[in-house]
This record gives sequence, C-alpha cells and structure tokens, in this order.
Amino acid sequence: MISLEVESFAHDGAAPALTDVSLSVQPGEHVVLAGASGSGKTTLVRLLAGLTGLDAGATLLGSITLGDQRLRFDGSPRDPRIDAARWSAQVAYVAQGAWGQLSMMSSTVGEEVAFGLANRGVPSAQLRLRVEEVAVALGLTPLLQRDPRRLSGGQLQRTLIAAAVVQRPRVLVLDEPFQGLDDDAVREVGAALEVLRGDGTGVVVSAPMLPLDAPRSARVLALAGGRPVFDGPLAEARSAGLDRYGIGTAGDPPTRTGVDRPAGAGPALVELRNVSFSYPDERGAPRVAGLRGIDLDVHPGEIVALRGPNGSGKSTLLQHLDGLLRAGAGSVTVEGTLIRRQPTGSFAGTVGYLFQDTDQQLFERTVLREVAYGPRVTGAGRAEAGRRAAAALAEVGLRAVEEVHPYELGFVQRRLVALASLIATGPSLWVLDEPTAGLDAPARETVAALLAAHARAGGAVVLATHDAAFADAVVHRSLWLDDGRVVREGH
Amino acid sequence: MSSSSAPAAEPAALRPRRLLLAAGGTLIVLTYLLLVILQPTELAGGMGSVAALVSLIGFLGGGALLVAGILPMLSTSSLVVMPLGIALNIAIGQLAGSLGLQIYLDAIGTVLVAVLAGPAAGAATGAISNAIWGLFNPFALPFAAGAALIGLLAGLAAKHGLFRRVYTAAGAGLVTGAIGGLVAAPVAVFMFGAAGTPGTNAIIAVFRSLGDKLLLAATKQGLLSDSLDKIVVFVLVALIVHALPQRAVRQFPFARTQRVIGGRGGGRSAARGNDAGTA
Amino acid sequence: MPRRRIYNPVTELLTAALLVVLVLVVNRWEFSLGVLVLGVLPAVLFSGRARRIGLALALVTGPLLISSLLLHGLFFPEGERILLDLGIARVSVEGLVFAAVLGVRTSVFAGVLLTTAMTLDIAELLATMTHRGWNRKLVFVIGSAVGLIPHVALRGQQITRAQQARGFVVGRGPFTRLRGLLAVTTPLVIGLLVDASERNHMLEARGFSATVARTSYVPDSDTAGQRVFRRLLVLGVGLCCAVWLIVTVPG
Repeated sequence: MISLEVESFAHDGAAPALTDVSLSVQPGEHVVLAGASGSGKTTLVRLLAGLTGLDAGATLLGSITLGDQRLRFDGSPRDPRIDAARWSAQVAYVAQGAWGQLSMMSSTVGEEVAFGLANRGVPSAQLRLRVEEVAVALGLTPLLQRDPRRLSGGQLQRTLIAAAVVQRPRVLVLDEPFQGLDDDAVREVGAALEVLRGDGTGVVVSAPMLPLDAPRSARVLALAGGRPVFDGPLAEARSAGLDRYGIGTAGDPPTRTGVDRPAGAGPALVELRNVSFSYPDERGAPRVAGLRGIDLDVHPGEIVALRGPNGSGKSTLLQHLDGLLRAGAGSVTVEGTLIRRQPTGSFAGTVGYLFQDTDQQLFERTVLREVAYGPRVTGAGRAEAGRRAAAALAEVGLRAVEEVHPYELGFVQRRLVALASLIATGPSLWVLDEPTAGLDAPARETVAALLAAHARAGGAVVLATHDAAFADAVVHRSLWLDDGRVVREGH
Repeated sequence: MSSSSAPAAEPAALRPRRLLLAAGGTLIVLTYLLLVILQPTELAGGMGSVAALVSLIGFLGGGALLVAGILPMLSTSSLVVMPLGIALNIAIGQLAGSLGLQIYLDAIGTVLVAVLAGPAAGAATGAISNAIWGLFNPFALPFAAGAALIGLLAGLAAKHGLFRRVYTAAGAGLVTGAIGGLVAAPVAVFMFGAAGTPGTNAIIAVFRSLGDKLLLAATKQGLLSDSLDKIVVFVLVALIVHALPQRAVRQFPFARTQRVIGGRGGGRSAARGNDAGTA
Repeated sequence: MPRRRIYNPVTELLTAALLVVLVLVVNRWEFSLGVLVLGVLPAVLFSGRARRIGLALALVTGPLLISSLLLHGLFFPEGERILLDLGIARVSVEGLVFAAVLGVRTSVFAGVLLTTAMTLDIAELLATMTHRGWNRKLVFVIGSAVGLIPHVALRGQQITRAQQARGFVVGRGPFTRLRGLLAVTTPLVIGLLVDASERNHMLEARGFSATVARTSYVPDSDTAGQRVFRRLLVLGVGLCCAVWLIVTVPG
C-alpha cells in the first residue's frame, strides 16, 4: 500500500538521520516503529506523512511508493515535491504535541473533526454525516459538542485521530501518540486504533519502547542511530535483545533495583499536617480534586511515590511542597521552615521541582546557560554556577550538547536538561511530576540511578507517577491518592 | 498525488490586490491629511462629529482595504503566526498591566509577526489585532490603521537588517513610535477627546496648560509616550527573536531569506545533538 | 447561560456599528443620551449577563471618563467663562461641557459595541462568515486568534509559576520587571511558534489551501429576511446621515 526505501536522508548537510531503511505497510497492518531518542523514528514517520522537508534543505536518496505511484528522490533540486493536501487524503498523520494540531478556531470537537472536509468544500449535510460516522467508530459521539481545548489527554488524542482519518485514508501514521497518557487513556486510544485497523487502515505508531498491549499481530521495526536493527513480529522483538540499542519494553522495571533502606534517622525533611486545599470553582472547567486532610513525613534518604488515577490530587500535593500552592488548612514544613507567605522563588534553593510539561520550564539560549540559571538566581557566582551546571550535565550525560539550544533537542533530552537544572541548584528535596513519562529506556535508567544516588547522599525525593514498574523498583514507600485523600500506604 | 510545486501567482489576480492596497493606503493618508491640515473649523476646541466619523471610517475602512489586499497573498506559514501575534498582543498587554509596568507593550505580537513573516503580514496583524481587541475594548477599534502602520514599519526595519543588533532595533523603535504617535493623535482627539490613561493625560495636561491646542498637545504626547513604548517593544522582540531556536525561525521564508537575525543562517545542523548519549 | 438569540451575529454587529455612525453624525448630546438610555441600557439589562457587561463597561469607560473630566475640566485654554482659577489649572464652563458631551458620546460608543461583543457567539459568527463566503484566511485568523487568547494567557501563567519554582522572584525596578517579562515571553513565544509550525503542516494536510468555497459544520443561522434587513438598514442609515448633514451643515 505504502512503501518507503530510504538509502539516506539528511537535514541541512548534517550526518544522515536515516540510512538504508525500508518499510512497507499493508492494509490492516499494525507497525510499531521503536527506537530510543535520536534513533530517527520521528524522521521516518514524517517521511511517511509526506513531510520530506526538501524545501528546508533536507536531502533524500530513495523512493516512496503510494498505491501505484512511485516517487524517486535523487537529492537533486528537481526532486518531486509532495502536495500535502492530496497526500493526506491517503496517508493521515498525527504529530507529537496536541496543541499544534488543533486549528484553535473550532469551538466544538465536531467542528474540529470536520475541518479538513470543510476546507475542501464538502457540502454541510454530507459533512455532518461523515463526522458522525467517524465519531461512532472512535467513541467520540458524546464529545462532539465539547470544547476541544478542554478535553482529557486521551479524548484529545482521539479527536486528533478522528480529524486525521475523516477523509478515510489508507494509512494512519502517529508519532508517539501515547506520550504523557496514563494507562486508561492508552487503552482508550489503542482501542480506537484497533477499530480503524479492523476497517483495513494500515496503522504505524512510533514509540520509545516496545508496547505492552499492542495487537498480537503487530510488526516491529526497530531503529538505532538511523539504521534498522530489527524487523519482525512483536513477540520476537521482545526477546531479540533490543536492550543493547536502548529499546526496552514498556512495563519493565529499570535494571537498577535494590535501593538501600533509608537511614531514617534525623528530623523529617518534609512535614505535612492535616493539609487541605480546594481549587476555586471555574465555570466550564472539569472539577479538579483538591486535598483533604493529608499527613506526610519524608525523611532524609527517602524516596516516596504518590500514585493514583488522573485528577486524584497528586500534582496538587506536589505543588504544596515548594509553595506553588498554599494549603487552605493545616501546615507544610520543609527543612524546618513553615511555608506561609514567602515568595515561591525563595524555596528554590531547598526544593527542586520538575514540572510535568518541560517546555514551560526552559527559557535560555543554550543548555549550559539553562542549567546554570538555577544556581545563579539562588546566589552562586557566575563561575561557580557554570561549574555546577557542567557537573549536573555530566550526571545526566548531556555534556556534549551544552552549547545547543534546548529546543533543538528531542523530548527525552529536554526532560533531562530540566532535571539537570534542578540538580545544579542543589536542593535537598526533589519534587518530580511524572519524571519517567515519555522517556526511553536509557533515560529511565539514568533517572533511577540519579534518584538512588540523591537518596544515598541524604536527600529526599517525592514523585508523582503512573509508572508502576519504575515506582516498585525505585521508591521506598508509596502513597495511593484518590479524590484528594490518601487511601492506601505501603510499598 | 505529487510533483506540483507552489503555483506561481497569476498576474490577473494580482492587479485587484494592488488596487486594494493602493486604495487602502490612499484612504488612510487622505484621512490623516484631512484631519491635520484642514482641521475642520468646527473643531476649534477639538470636538467634531464629522471629524470623528471621518477618522473612524477613514482609518477603519483603510485598514480593512489593506487587510483585504494583503490576506490573499500570504502563505500558510505567515498565516499561522498571525493569530499567535494577535493573542500575544492582547495577553501581554494584560500581563504588562499585572506586572505593574507603566507602558502598554500591546504591539509585541504585531512586531514579532512583522519580523518573522514580513511587513505585509505585520500590517495585517496590526489591523486585525485592533479589530479583535475592539471586541473587548472598543477604544482600540479606531486605532486599527495606526497598528497596521506599526506592523508595516517593523517589517521594513527587519527587512533592512535593523533587528540584527539590539541598538539598531531600539533606533527603529524610536522612529516607528514617533510615526505611530503622529498618526494616532488625531484619532485620540477626534474620537475620544484625547482621553487616555492618567499617565498620558498628565502629559497632555502639561502641554494644554502651556496653551497648546488639543490636537497639538495630543500629538506631542503621542510622540513622547509611543516612542518610549515602541523602543521597549522593539528591543524586547529583538531579544526574543535572538533567543529563538533555529527550527522556529527557519520555518519562515521571510526571516530565512532576509536574514533578519543576522549570521545565523540556515547552514547550521538541525539534527545536532540528536546522537548524544542519554545513558 | 447563553441568552436566547434572535438575530444572527452579523446582523447584530452591523446594527451596532450603524448605531455608532448615527450617533457620530447627529452629534447632539440629547440624541446620544437617548440612545444610551433607550437603547444601550435595555440591551444590557435584557442580555442575561447584565452584571458582567456592566462591570466590563465600568472598567473600560470609567477611567476614560474620569481622566477626560480632569483633563478638560482643569485644562481648557479655549475656555472663557472661568469658574475657578487655580493658577495653572482653570475650571471653565466650556471645558466641562466639552468633557460632558464627549463623555456621553464615548459611553454610547463603548456601550453599544461592548454589549454586542459580550453577547456575541463567536462560533456562530465564524460559521455565518463562512456560509456567506468570506475569505477563509480572514475567518481563520479571527477564529484562531480568539481561540488562542485564553490559551496564551493560561500558558503565560503556567510559565510564570515554573520560573518562580526555579528561583525567579519579581523585583521592583523597571529593569528587573522587564527581565521578568522577557523570561516569561521567550518560552511562551517559542512554544507557540513550535505549535504554529505544526499547525502549518496540519493546515496544508487538511486542504486549507484549496480554492473551492469553504463549508461549515455549524448550521447557517442567517436568514434571507435578515439579509434583506441588513441591506435596508445600511441604505436607511446612509440616507438619514446624508439628509441630516445637508440640513444641519449649511453651505
């Protein structure tokens, strides 16, 4: 149906991002493109989607065959250009990052799904019929009148898929569609993909790890350094030793296990006493759980996980630990200091916070300046800040990119930059919101090792996570939250 | 399925667009001249209905003609940043207020779009921005032509490389602000009797107490405060643009080909750092 | 609480705009006051969100009216009938009258437009523009900008919080404040531009460059009757203005 033969593909005269990769997708087939960060999987996905980037200086040697038409690329300026509108009628594409794929001009999900058809002048009656069909198939019918900007992660992802497939393409290509989704949302989106596959659509999904619950018949193409390292059924891929290419399996624990028991002695680093909090009611917004009567002690050397479904109050609790939110009742004490009305910035030296959305956190021109920012504003001199930044970058393995702009890096590396800037500031308490979401296996190992080292050195970590395998292997203690209170506590 | 590159603009469709642009520009200039040079006698004190009507219809209509002429010739990549510029204008205008800054900063988005996507996109962004802002704050509406002019001048400044250095950007901001202030003054006078914020009114009051006519006082005030505001805006935009990653700038043909931010052309590797180890 | 809608948004916007034109042309404070009391006031009261509109109106026009009164009430060199001489500042009858006339006119201007805008259903407006065959680029820019404003504001707040968590404290001086603004704006702009680049591809893929007339998922709420009404309204107001100007402006 679609097949791709890439001899080589490079951006702007850089080293080739892809070499000798070939891939063909048959009707009703499910292909997983697995690879660690920087393996070239996004590049490959974009080529399938017809985004060759030839006008922005990229060079492609190879061919793309769609149906009975074969396009040959020789790296010359006369190479064919792909018309995005016509290509997308056959190959639908859902990129990473949801916001860029909403037109932002639709006030309902129905309008957003209809956007592509409306642009092509499909008459209104037919338009509504097609939207309803797709909505039924993907379980979106109850959401058609909702505002697309106020959906949960899984709902939004299904909306984007619906908007992409409303033209009934033969192939659907998705770039890391499960990034940042919790288990329920992953299943929700997975089920939607199965429906499309059942209708004969070929599905291509890229992922940093081998998926846990992909269809039995799924095929895996694994990439490392822009070259194929495995091509075969999913079951075989799991035992093919892809670990050495940094491709793990979702749901596997990090290999570094056996954390030492915390020393436990000494005064608590964090003390929460009967903390309650409620969000102000906002019209139209989904209700967010606050906190109700939370007690928590975290001692030096301890790693504590907060677990529970989306909206159970995990992030709300984390934000109380560095003053981003202030308790409505009860008290929060960090390193002996009662959090009252001090400016949030004054806790940065004691508490390091890793946000769920990294991109709100990075703002400097180079990775080194970014990581040195924390130490600088918390009082270290310029030279000292630079030294600490370099040390922190070495710890996360990013010394090689310290002069690069943070946004030129991939998702995984940006996440590590954010972690390095936290480390460089030197806080004793680390507060991490979903630290492993979207990471590849090597980065996940790095994070596990850093947490253990920080605890051994007498620091403490509180993290919110959906990653059960990671939590089971790395933390000393877990608190399960539901609707703003602790419902269970244990290992 | 493939192999159709961007279709060349057909000259037949180009002519009516030029006509619209010329008509819009002429209307704005004529309106300005009518208001300033002829100064309808009924406005001895500065109040006049016909003058208000002329400034509303002339500047708003001129802006509309310009937008109608510019929009069809914009590429999709220019088009997608315009809403962003408009939203930034409005959001940062409000943020500036909440941070307690004394200047408006409500043209940051317009100038940003002009620098990245060129003078035409900048002008259209300015005009549409004020039209939309008029929904929340009707007093922004008649200043649409002035905002379009800011966008146009910022784009021209970028085209001539004035955004490659911060101090040249500041100079361009000074000139743009002065011109913008000149154009805005009659609108402020004839539509709203020059009433504005307490700060700007204090400046007008000083000139009025020296015996200046209202239009003259408002013009002097516009020259002062708009220049200051635009210097800050241009410098901020220059700093932002220089902090942008390559891949954000490269998507704009105008910014790429005119090298608006200087030496950092397209040559550097895009994929640099992708191979760095993460373990 | 959406109010019950009778007219299409385009009809409402046009009516509001023509009312403003009429007020400017007639230019009698009696007429302006009449429109304010008989037109704007009932419209606000029956809008179903009187409190919000009233608040917005007060926030937008209040400072303007007060500063106008201070400016012209105290500094009006053309004034001859002086009520109070304060040295530099002189309170004159002419200045006060000028401020009052302008104040009423400004209030009508803001009242009419703000009431219309705040009861406007943007989705319906965009749909009507599409159904009437307006330029799709214009519809996109307007719709997308209005949709982005709350998103940009929210993202700005989130970034501010993230910067504070990293140790950023807003200082007092103008320079540290500008630096703070820059620290928030830069990541905001980068994030928005990255989105825009993706949206660029999305628009191309979804056939936005097509040249056929765009259609809309939202049903057309416009009627033939309202289209005729709009034309008659433009014609009527145009005629009224012409007659009024000929009668009142001699020679």
